[in-house]
Amino acid sequence: MLRSPLVLIVALVTVWFIATFLIFPNATLLIGTFFPDGQLSFRAFEKLVSSERAMNSLWHSFLLAGTLAVTVNVVGIFIVLVTDYFAIRGARILWLGYATTLIYGGIVLAAGYNFIYGRYGFVTNAVGNWFPDIDRDWFSGYFAVVVVMTLATTTNHMLFLGSSLAKIDYQTIEAARNMGAGTLRILWRIVLPALRPMIFAVTVLTFLTGLGALTAPIVLGGTDFQTVAPMILTFSKSSSSQDLAALLAIILGLATIVLLAMMNRAEKSGVYFSVAKVATPLQKQKIPNRVTNGVVHVLAYALFVVYATPVLLIVLFSFLDSTAILRGMITWDALTLDNYATVFGTPSVLRPFIVSVVYSALASAIVVLGMLFVARVLQKYRNPVTGLLEYLLHIPWILPTILIALALVMTFDRPQALVGGQVLTGTTSLLLLAYIIVKIPFTLRLLKAAFASVPESLEDAARILGAGSMFTLRKVLFPLVIPTAAAITALNFNSLLDDYDAAVFLYHPLYQPLGIAIKASTEGENNLDSMSITFVYTVLLMIIMGLAMYLVYGRSGAATRRARRRASRN
Amino acid sequence: MNKRTITASSFALALLSTVVLTSCSAETDTAASGDATGTLIVYTNSNSDGRGEWITEQASAAGLDIEIVGLGGADLANRIVAEKNNPVGDVVFGLNNMFFETLKAEEAVSAYTPAWSGEVDSTAGDAEDGVFWPLVEQAIVMAYDTNTVSAADAPTEIADLWDGDQYTGNYEVNTALGQATPQLVLAGLLAPYADEDGDLGISDDGWDQVQAYFGHGSPAVEGTDLYARLIRGEVDFGVIPSSGITSRDTEYGTVTGVISPEDGVPYVTEQIAVINGTPRQEQAEEFIDWFGSSDVQGQFAAKFAAYPVNTEARAQALPAVVELIESLPKQDIDWALTREHIGEWVEKTELEYLP
Repeated sequence: MLRSPLVLIVALVTVWFIATFLIFPNATLLIGTFFPDGQLSFRAFEKLVSSERAMNSLWHSFLLAGTLAVTVNVVGIFIVLVTDYFAIRGARILWLGYATTLIYGGIVLAAGYNFIYGRYGFVTNAVGNWFPDIDRDWFSGYFAVVVVMTLATTTNHMLFLGSSLAKIDYQTIEAARNMGAGTLRILWRIVLPALRPMIFAVTVLTFLTGLGALTAPIVLGGTDFQTVAPMILTFSKSSSSQDLAALLAIILGLATIVLLAMMNRAEKSGVYFSVAKVATPLQKQKIPNRVTNGVVHVLAYALFVVYATPVLLIVLFSFLDSTAILRGMITWDALTLDNYATVFGTPSVLRPFIVSVVYSALASAIVVLGMLFVARVLQKYRNPVTGLLEYLLHIPWILPTILIALALVMTFDRPQALVGGQVLTGTTSLLLLAYIIVKIPFTLRLLKAAFASVPESLEDAARILGAGSMFTLRKVLFPLVIPTAAAITALNFNSLLDDYDAAVFLYHPLYQPLGIAIKASTEGENNLDSMSITFVYTVLLMIIMGLAMYLVYGRSGAATRRARRRASRN
Repeated sequence: MNKRTITASSFALALLSTVVLTSCSAETDTAASGDATGTLIVYTNSNSDGRGEWITEQASAAGLDIEIVGLGGADLANRIVAEKNNPVGDVVFGLNNMFFETLKAEEAVSAYTPAWSGEVDSTAGDAEDGVFWPLVEQAIVMAYDTNTVSAADAPTEIADLWDGDQYTGNYEVNTALGQATPQLVLAGLLAPYADEDGDLGISDDGWDQVQAYFGHGSPAVEGTDLYARLIRGEVDFGVIPSSGITSRDTEYGTVTGVISPEDGVPYVTEQIAVINGTPRQEQAEEFIDWFGSSDVQGQFAAKFAAYPVNTEARAQALPAVVELIESLPKQDIDWALTREHIGEWVEKTELEYLP
C-alpha cells in the first residue's frame, strides 16, 4: 500500500496531525491532571465512586444513551420511510417539518418544548383549564428528556439514512415482490439490512449524543433526572477539579469507543449486496392495506405537528416581549419588534455573524476534504496500523470540548517544533484548528459508512478499464459519497456556527464569533430580555442554517428528483 | 508516477499546506501580542447591559483605543491563566476578589499602583501587595417581593429558610456552581463555620448547612429569571446581586425587600489589574488611571446603578443604590481561606449535596 504516493502522503499527514493536535496537547493536559506530582493519583476515581450523586448522574446518562439508541432508531427510521420509501401524501411537507431539527437545537429547542408541555406550557395550561387536578409537572424527568431528545436527534437519520436508502437497488425489491414477498417482509429482509452500515454509524452518534446530553436534562430533567454533562461542565471550569471532569468524560468516551468497536465488528461481518450497481432509482412503495396506510398517514402527520410547533413558537416568541413569554400570556399588544431592534441596534452586530460563518465554513470544508482521503484509506487498507489510526482519530470524542480547547491554549503558547516553531496561542488559527479537531470523529464515522456501502466491484471495474487510483477516487468513488459528504459539511457548519465551548478560550479578541456575542448579549444582571434575544438570534441562525441546507439539499435534491422523473419517464 | 497520481499527491499536499498556512498566516495578525502599539485588549466579565459599549465610547473620547473582550467570570479567569505564558489581553477588570486572588497566585496579573489609589479603601483590594485595585462593590442578597411577602412575615435570618419545613421548596437555589454568584453564596454560607480541623477547613455544622440549603431549595430554572418565578408564585425568595434589583422592580412591578441578617450579607468587590507580560504596559496603566478615576467611576455608577468603591465617585451614585448598600452590614468572610478552598468546596457540594 505504501507504493502509492497518495496513500503515503495521506498517511504521513494523518500521523503528523494526530501526533501534533490530538495526542500531544491532550496527553500533556491529562498527564498534568492524573499525575500531579509525577505519581498516578486515584483521587478523582475515589471521589466519584464515593459520590452517590455522581454515580446516579452517570447511570442516568447511560440510561438515556441506551434508550435513545432504540427510540431514535424507531422514530428516525419511521421518518425516513414515510418521507423517502412509502408513498405518503404530502411527503415533501412532512420532510420540511421533520427537517426543523436541522436548524435549531440546544437550549432553545429544550425551552421550546418546555413552553408547550412544561409546567407553564400551553398544552398544560389548556388541559389544566378543563381538568384542574392534573399534575402540572407531568412533562418532566426521564420521560420528557427522552421524548424531546428523541425528536431532536433524528437529524442524522434523515440525512444519512435517507441518502443510503436512495442508493438501494430497486431491482432487488421488484424481484422480491415478483417472488411474492409482502411489504413488511421486503422492508425487513431487504431494505433494512441494506441500510445496516449507516444504521450502525448513526446509532453510535445517537448514543454519544445521549451520553453528552446537557440542556434537555437541565431544562426538563427536574431533580430526578440529572445527567453527568452539567457536572463535567462545572468541574472542567475549576482547575482543582479538572481531573474529575476528565475522568467522567473519559468514561463516557470509552463507552462510545466500545460501542464503536462492536459496530465495526458487526459491520465487517456483514455482506451488503443490495446497493445499486445499475441506476434504477427507488420508486415509492404504496402501502396496500388501507387501514395500515391510514394509520401510517395519521402517525406521520401527528409527528409533523409535534416537530413543527416549537419552531413556529420560537419565531412567534422572537416578536414578543419577554414578560409576556414568562407569564405565558400572549396578547396582540405583546407583539413587538423591540427584540429585533435591540439585536440590530447593537453596534457591529453583523461582524460576529461573518466571523462565525467564515470559521465554520472553512473548518467544515477542510475537515470533510481531509477525511474523504483518510476514510478512504482506512476503508481500503485494513490492518492494525490503520485500525489504530482510526481509533486515535476518535480522541476528540473522549474529551469535552472545553478541555480540548484548554489543552490547545496551553500547548501552543510557546514555539512548538511540531508546527514549525510557531506560537499559535493568540492567533486566529487556533480556533479554526479546534473546530477541525472536534469535527473529525463525526465526519470520519459517517464518511467511512458511506464508503462502506460502495460496492468493490465498481472500483475493480474502473481498475480493469485502466483508471489510476486518483482517477477512480475522483470519478467513481467521490461522486457516490458526495451526497453524504455534502450533508456532513452542512451539519458541521450548522453546529459550529454558534459554538461557545471552544471559542471561549480560543477566540482572537478582534474576531469575536457568534456564540460569544450571543452569550454576551443575553447575559447580564439587568438583561431581562435575554430569552427573547436568544430567540431572535435563533431565528437569525435558522435562516443561515436553512440557507446552508438549501445550498446542499435544495439543489442536489432537485437534481435527484429530476433524475427520478427522467428514469420514470423512460 | 503517472500524471494522475501526481495530481492526487499535489491535492493532498495542498490540503496539508492549508493547515500549515493557516498557522503561518496567523502571524500577520497577532495584534494581541508582541507589539507595543495598537489596540489595548481589555478583558472583562462586566460588559453586559451596554457597559462594554459605553466604556469603549468613553475611552475613545478620552483618546484611548480599546477593544473589550467580554466573557463570564469563571471562563475569563480560566482563559487568563491558560494564556499566561503568552498573554492575549492587556488589562482585566470586573472579576471579583476571589478570582483576582487566583490570578495573583498564578502570577497572571502584575502590580501597579493607580493614580487614584488614595481615593479607595485599599483593604477592599489587595492591601498587601497592591496587585489589584477595587472598582465597584455589590451585595449578594436574598430578595423577595413585598407585594406577596410582607416585610414582617419575612424571616430575619437567611438560615430560617431551611431551618424546618416552613419554606421548603419556596426559595430558589442556583446549582450552576461554575458561576461566580453561586460560588459567593456558598462562600457566605460556609464562612461562619471555618474550622481548621474540619473537612476542607469547614466544620461538620457548616456542611450540614450546605446540605440543608440545597436540600430545601427549589433549583433555579435555566432560562427563567428569578423574578419571573417570584411573580408567578413558584418561589418567594431567591438570591440576586444588588445591582440587578432596580431594573427588575421596574420591569416586573415588584417592590423588592431583602433579608438583612445580623451577621451581614456577602459583599463582592470587582477589581482591576494589568495582565502580567503585556507588551502594552504603558497604555494599560493609562487605561487603569482613567477608568478608576472618580469622574469616570461616578458616571459609570450613575448610568449602571453601581456602588463605586472610589469615595469621591459615590456622590454621583443613585441614592436608592447607596441607601440599600449602606443598610446592609458586610458579612465577615475570610477571602484568603475562601480562595484556597473554593474549588474543593464547589467540588464537594457538587458531588454530595446538590439535589
